[in-house]
Amino acid sequence: MANKTASKTAGTNKSFIDRMGGQKFIVLIIVIAMFIFFSAMSPQFRKYTTVVSILDYSYYIALMAIGVTFPLLTAGVDLSIGTGLICYSLIGGYLIVHQGWPVAAGMLVTVLLGVAFGVINGCLVALMDLPAFLATLCTCMITRGFGAMVVGGYGIPWPTAAAPGGWFRSIFKIQIGGQNIPIGFLWIILLVIVMSFVLNHTKMGRYTRAIGSNKEATKLSGVNVKFYHVMAYVICGLFAGLAAIAYSAIFATVQPGSGAGFELDAIGGAIVGGTSMTGAVGSITGTLIGVFVICLLKTGLPFIGLTANWQQIITGFVLIAAVLFDILKRKREAGK
Amino acid sequence: MESIKQNPLVKKVGFNRIVLCIVLLLMYALFCILTNGAFVGSRRILSALNYAYFLGFLSLAVTFVIATGGIDFSIGPVMFCCALIAGFSFTVNGIPMPAALVISLVVGVVFGIFNGYLVAYWDVPSFITSIASMNIAKGVASVFTRTQSVSWPQSGADGGWFRNIVSVGDIPMGLIILLAVAVVCAIILNKTKMGRYILSLGSNKEAVRLSGVNVRKWEMSAYVLCGLLVGISALFYVGAYTTVQPGYGDQYNNEAIAGCVMGGTSMAGGLASISGTIIGVFIISLLQEGIMALGLDKNLQLIITGLIVIVAVFADVVARRRKN
Amino acid sequence: MGEVILTMKGIDKSFPGVHALDHVDLEVKKGEVHALMGENGAGKSTLMKVLTGIYKKDSGTITYEGKEVEFHNTREAQDAGIVIVHQELNMLGHLTVAQNIFIGREFKKGIRIDDKKMNEEARKLFDRMHIDIDPRETMSKLTVGKQQMCEIAKAISHQAKVIVFDEPSAALTEAEIEELFKIIRDLRDQGLGIIYISHRMDEIKVITDRVTVMRDGAYVGTLITEESTKDDIINMMVGRVIYEDPKTKNMTPPGSPVVLKVEHLNAGKMVQDVSFELHKGEVLGFSGLMGAGRTETMRALFGADPIDSGDIYVNGQKVVIRSPQDAVKYGIGYLSEDRKRYGIVVQKTVAENTTMADLDEFSNGPFINKKKEKEVAEKFVESLATKTPSVDQLVVNLSGGNQQKVVIAKWLTKNCDILIFDEPTRGIDVGAKNEIYKLMNQLAAEGKAIIMVSSEMTEILRMSDRIVVMCEGKKTGELDISEATQENIMNMATREIS
Repeated sequence: MANKTASKTAGTNKSFIDRMGGQKFIVLIIVIAMFIFFSAMSPQFRKYTTVVSILDYSYYIALMAIGVTFPLLTAGVDLSIGTGLICYSLIGGYLIVHQGWPVAAGMLVTVLLGVAFGVINGCLVALMDLPAFLATLCTCMITRGFGAMVVGGYGIPWPTAAAPGGWFRSIFKIQIGGQNIPIGFLWIILLVIVMSFVLNHTKMGRYTRAIGSNKEATKLSGVNVKFYHVMAYVICGLFAGLAAIAYSAIFATVQPGSGAGFELDAIGGAIVGGTSMTGAVGSITGTLIGVFVICLLKTGLPFIGLTANWQQIITGFVLIAAVLFDILKRKREAGK
Repeated sequence: MESIKQNPLVKKVGFNRIVLCIVLLLMYALFCILTNGAFVGSRRILSALNYAYFLGFLSLAVTFVIATGGIDFSIGPVMFCCALIAGFSFTVNGIPMPAALVISLVVGVVFGIFNGYLVAYWDVPSFITSIASMNIAKGVASVFTRTQSVSWPQSGADGGWFRNIVSVGDIPMGLIILLAVAVVCAIILNKTKMGRYILSLGSNKEAVRLSGVNVRKWEMSAYVLCGLLVGISALFYVGAYTTVQPGYGDQYNNEAIAGCVMGGTSMAGGLASISGTIIGVFIISLLQEGIMALGLDKNLQLIITGLIVIVAVFADVVARRRKN
Repeated sequence: MGEVILTMKGIDKSFPGVHALDHVDLEVKKGEVHALMGENGAGKSTLMKVLTGIYKKDSGTITYEGKEVEFHNTREAQDAGIVIVHQELNMLGHLTVAQNIFIGREFKKGIRIDDKKMNEEARKLFDRMHIDIDPRETMSKLTVGKQQMCEIAKAISHQAKVIVFDEPSAALTEAEIEELFKIIRDLRDQGLGIIYISHRMDEIKVITDRVTVMRDGAYVGTLITEESTKDDIINMMVGRVIYEDPKTKNMTPPGSPVVLKVEHLNAGKMVQDVSFELHKGEVLGFSGLMGAGRTETMRALFGADPIDSGDIYVNGQKVVIRSPQDAVKYGIGYLSEDRKRYGIVVQKTVAENTTMADLDEFSNGPFINKKKEKEVAEKFVESLATKTPSVDQLVVNLSGGNQQKVVIAKWLTKNCDILIFDEPTRGIDVGAKNEIYKLMNQLAAEGKAIIMVSSEMTEILRMSDRIVVMCEGKKTGELDISEATQENIMNMATREIS
């Protein structure tokens, strides 16, 4: 609660928007405006099922985005989360479907694979000094190949809700009286709270930001920079693993070779939500709000007659717009 | 070892390139042995060459961008975008084949201008513009073709003459064109103002700016040239494989970058070798063919190229660290 | 003043080719502010780096609190209670003040960082220093002065017994300096030993108890501030060295035209209302202490950094310079103080660097005429006596002096008539220095106009026909060489501007 009073007193000379959370606040208004826009344009959009489907899409993107916020805060990036997600889900599902593993064990493997690739990425970037975008591009390709090889190139259908072991789908969606209740959103909110705490109130989060702000100065302050730098990627990998669970639970079949482009949705969400490409600036709540901009585009555009392909194009431009906004903001601050 | 490196002939050709050539030959020998001789003969080699053509242009393209110290991993999807838009214009809209070929180049150049402008004039990190334009390219291609795959005409069919760029009878035209373009690229990189400025600004952009050079213009030119070469690579892709599907192409990014960094182009910019890139591309292509011939999972290719890039870039990082 | 807390005795340190510290002594007592003075390059920073374990000394002893010590890194020194407040701030701009002060040693409650306690502790520190900074404010939003206070607070929070201030006032306003002094006096009264590095003579008189002067890496002497005058200290700093053929009169041919005129140039805080003229065939020296704004003036003039206001005339014509491209077009060449970063392209050859600014001249259409390039490069290698096996050698393999010659060749190739030499001999050994000097004189005699920024007094006096002195972003004086002495230049360079 100290934090709350802090922002109150420190914020006396700030504008209204800054006091409300700056870019986050603007983006939240954009989300609401988009929702109103799509609702006005299409009566179909105003339905409860649409809201559920927006949320369905949001789970795995949100989880990836929360994770990737950490490497972004260190002024790095992780491009392997999209193909990684598919890889972990394929292997986990393969163990369940083809090897007869219990679902819980398959899920555990899925998440652990995410953590393992997080460790690999972290070592490549933090210990071996490879450029983050290049190292993670390689693991992006490796995960894609690895996943497809393990399953032999065929899609993996995780157990359906009705099938034995299908209980895991009810983590995200339960049916009451024929209505789908998107309880997955509660998990997302819970994780946002937990990771906000980690980011703002633990050493892990503090040093993640510090590395992104000035790695050398952080090192000189006696912080074990290498460890925390690796850990940022491990967190990212963990969340890619969790995203894999969410993806498996929402969609019927996981296809090898897919997943490329998911990372754009997640990174785009984080950057739209106010995370800076140059590190240190950003928040988990901002990322979540940014993700909804992306999800609304994904689900809303078809309602106004634009195919899903347009979403890809528009997301690309949204990402560039968000980065340009960040660049201009920094130029203005530097000029002051 | 040192004495070999200091040999004037070795120095002239480049130690790194000699090693790569040896690796290439050893790989070929290894595949011949492993396949009990099935690899010997022209069929496999022609097939590997088909792969090397489009990948070669792609790798040459990204070499120029990496020489500036940037990166472009929109090249694969942009290549598909070029092939899809040009092919669709030919097969569905019925434009003549020469116009379709030009369209492919134009689409590549447009993406080059887009990436280059954002990087050079707006200081957007190059990997960000690449992920954005990668998705824009996929989206645009899908929208344009209404998510249909496009098949370019077979030889003999109307417009099928374009396949002559790949081979005329037994003459591997593709190889001739690829090597000719590589020579042109080498001339651009080593003999022209553009190449001089591209390499120099990759090495020390600020020093070049303070010499009164318009660095933004020259940095952008690397991306535009990259786009043009990607446009060419699209033609060789469909020349060899006929059909393109929207939504794909990114698997080739890594292979193109792998060919480039293996050939001695430094990720930090300022150092690039066209001949190295070409040899690197041949290695990747042979590897791909070898994996097929051995009946191994083709996904192994993705993993191996990923590892190659990691090793090559790490070697570069270590070499630079030792120099400082 | 109390008992001695720190003694450095006979400290000796050599780098390849440089004897940086030559048996230097320094003694600091509890409850004193001890000034460490000397020209740029006198060895003050090196001495402090030896003290805090960044450099390893070759010989000599450091006695701290009665025991001989040797620190291996800043962390060890910090833990023992010796802390440096750097001139360049080592801060994390995105974190809050309290988070910065306690980075690496946060208070915790379970796994939670106890920000509340950190804020309270920071508040206590600030109270002790009698300053008002909100510990919860983001670091980058504070003024440079306040950031400096935070660094000091961080130092104090380490239970420091000796604090080194490395030119703390360089970026501060008058009011902030007042505040700083108050804090320093408080700390002194609490019994800390303070080492205060500064160039500003007036400050030294106001704040310090004793002064140790260094020159050329050697210990000159220690004075009690109260008992000495400003001139005593300046005399110790500059010494009485006989220079190799210093210029005694202005060598510019009388009546030679003004080729460059700068009027009321403003660019940021470091360039305020600077005006001067440069004649054909003249060497105009720019003297001043570190951070006086000389380099900033040159960069603004050259278009490397944006100009806020001011007029520039080249050969009587008013020109607009927005980028280095414009400057080069008007025949201005700039040789940066930091050759590796701003001067040469290390992965390119001597020939390629020589033609960098004038590649159009060496091109037929898009193609470079390498034969012509090589010829011209070889011509300059010969005329400038550049030591290189061939013009195809990568410049990175050349020595500093020869790299400098390549940069000179670059601008001569472009036929620039106005050459700005920023610290032309920094990092260059003595023999090569003389060659560069000869070259500059020769160029001036050939009718080039030269601006030479230099922090070395000997260089200024030896080379300049006229001298402009700057202090804190402003021009504080202009002298003809015939009337210039080390003393009056130093006086202008340390002048307090109100």
